[in-house]
Amino acid sequence: MDFQGIFDRLTAIRAPGLVRADEPRKPDPKDKKDKGRAGDPFVLVEPGQLASFVRACRDDDRLHFELLVDLTATDPSKDAADLWINVQLLSLKFRHRLAIKALLPKSAASLPSLVPVYRASQWHERECAEMFGITFVGHPDPRNILLPDDWVGYPLRKDYEFPKEYHGISCE
Amino acid sequence: MSNETSKTMPSTRLRQTSAGEVTVDIRTPDLEINFGPQHPATHGVMRVLMRTDGELVTGAQPHLGYLHRCAEKIGENVEWLQYLPYTDRYDYLASMNNNLGYSLAVEALLGIEIPRRATLIRIICAELNRIGSHLVAFGTYGLDIGAFTPFLYCFREREWMMALFEKICGARLTYSYIRIGGVFNDAPPGWFEEVARFCDVFDEKWKEYVDLLLVNQIYVKRTAKVGVISREMALDFGLTGTMLRGSGIDWDLRRDMPYMCYGEIWRDGAFKIPVARGEMGELGDCWDRSWVRVMEMIESIKIVRWCLDHMVDGPVIGELPKTLKVPAGEAYVGIENPRGELGHYVVSDGGKVSIRTRVRGPSFCNLAVLEDTLPGALVGDAVAIIGSTDIVVGETDR
Repeated sequence: MDFQGIFDRLTAIRAPGLVRADEPRKPDPKDKKDKGRAGDPFVLVEPGQLASFVRACRDDDRLHFELLVDLTATDPSKDAADLWINVQLLSLKFRHRLAIKALLPKSAASLPSLVPVYRASQWHERECAEMFGITFVGHPDPRNILLPDDWVGYPLRKDYEFPKEYHGISCE
Repeated sequence: MSNETSKTMPSTRLRQTSAGEVTVDIRTPDLEINFGPQHPATHGVMRVLMRTDGELVTGAQPHLGYLHRCAEKIGENVEWLQYLPYTDRYDYLASMNNNLGYSLAVEALLGIEIPRRATLIRIICAELNRIGSHLVAFGTYGLDIGAFTPFLYCFREREWMMALFEKICGARLTYSYIRIGGVFNDAPPGWFEEVARFCDVFDEKWKEYVDLLLVNQIYVKRTAKVGVISREMALDFGLTGTMLRGSGIDWDLRRDMPYMCYGEIWRDGAFKIPVARGEMGELGDCWDRSWVRVMEMIESIKIVRWCLDHMVDGPVIGELPKTLKVPAGEAYVGIENPRGELGHYVVSDGGKVSIRTRVRGPSFCNLAVLEDTLPGALVGDAVAIIGSTDIVVGETDR
């Protein structure tokens, strides 16, 4: 199924939390400031309902997304109010992919964990939590995964300040 | 038991019943063992905290991060072209494939055409590198479980493969050869002929690995019915690549979501996708996974041959500005790495530096399954199970 087909199906089954589709477009020739958007289409989803949304994607027999390939977050800029949660789903049966994005306010960066739906997201969520300071409510094992347990700050946030030293080791 | 105890013996483990019978309680407290970080079977620096009851593993908790080099953070601080050498460093056994994955992701945003000759050279390099990577995986797996000789046979062929790469790009491990827009330079004279010779020789040599190791009774006994990953578990944990095919799921990105000209090669019937059938034991055991790896090497040879036969003349890299500006947008591109799906998610705001360079390392995702496969196994089998997942710690930690 192509992206339009997937989106129509999601609308038809009233997938919880679906906001809209975002497709790449060419720059507007009349508007010089408009740069357009390149790359892949994705669907925008309410972060609070992301878990039930992916469950609907997995269980629907025409979408059949049995694999969660990737879950990550993005901090678009220092001044942005929202973080992005990016999820990649893959259907082996129908050979299609779906990119999902959820805008999560930095002031309340918390959303339900996806682990009950896909165990695959367990380690990805741990990585997101330590790198972006996102809380996944209901995560079975919320420890740091790549960073030491006593690490201060969230390294992949754009306002992160590099530490001057770590346990007496100078980093300058 | 307490009802029957008439008196306590000097040792707390010994009890005497009223009939004068002495019973011994041989239960021992669970022992926590650190497997690694400096253990040769972890293929790098990874620590698995294992809880054991005698010879039985009752719990396992992988601890990562000993090789974390902030690849994703670096991606936000260097220019698009400058990031390429860092991709070599995550899965250092398949650097060509990493270069390819990143280049394809950036090209998806740029929307540029790659010259046909460059595409074919890319496929040859990626497939040769897949062979090299599987040779290490297979050879060192034998080493892990006590078979030293096959490892030397595997490295003999891998040496030639690395010499081929040295001739085309000057490096033996970290190539940075596949660039955004094509490949770094054209192949030197005689290179394609040597690749063809390598294919001919390899076609004979792989039978040695099968005879020496794969169907060796000792090897089969160590790996068959060990570390079984069911289909449901494989899907739930998001396994990809050889791990998925080792569990009997017929899925390969090269055929099912073709990129470059893999679709054309598949339609020509040049290669097959080996899928495990559980021949020696149960479907999804360690033996199945190593069988898939050996069979994949042969298929890679066929792909290389197809590319050599269809090679065209022409440029190998498109015209690109020295400072690359990538159009605003985001793209995710997943390719079939030797270890599974290597995904690059790149976001650009139209500038010289990316906003986000996300690397979805297949080893990282495949490793998560250890938490479920290790409990219930014997301590001796733990090495066999970890080895069969074929992790490269450089990639799990990035």
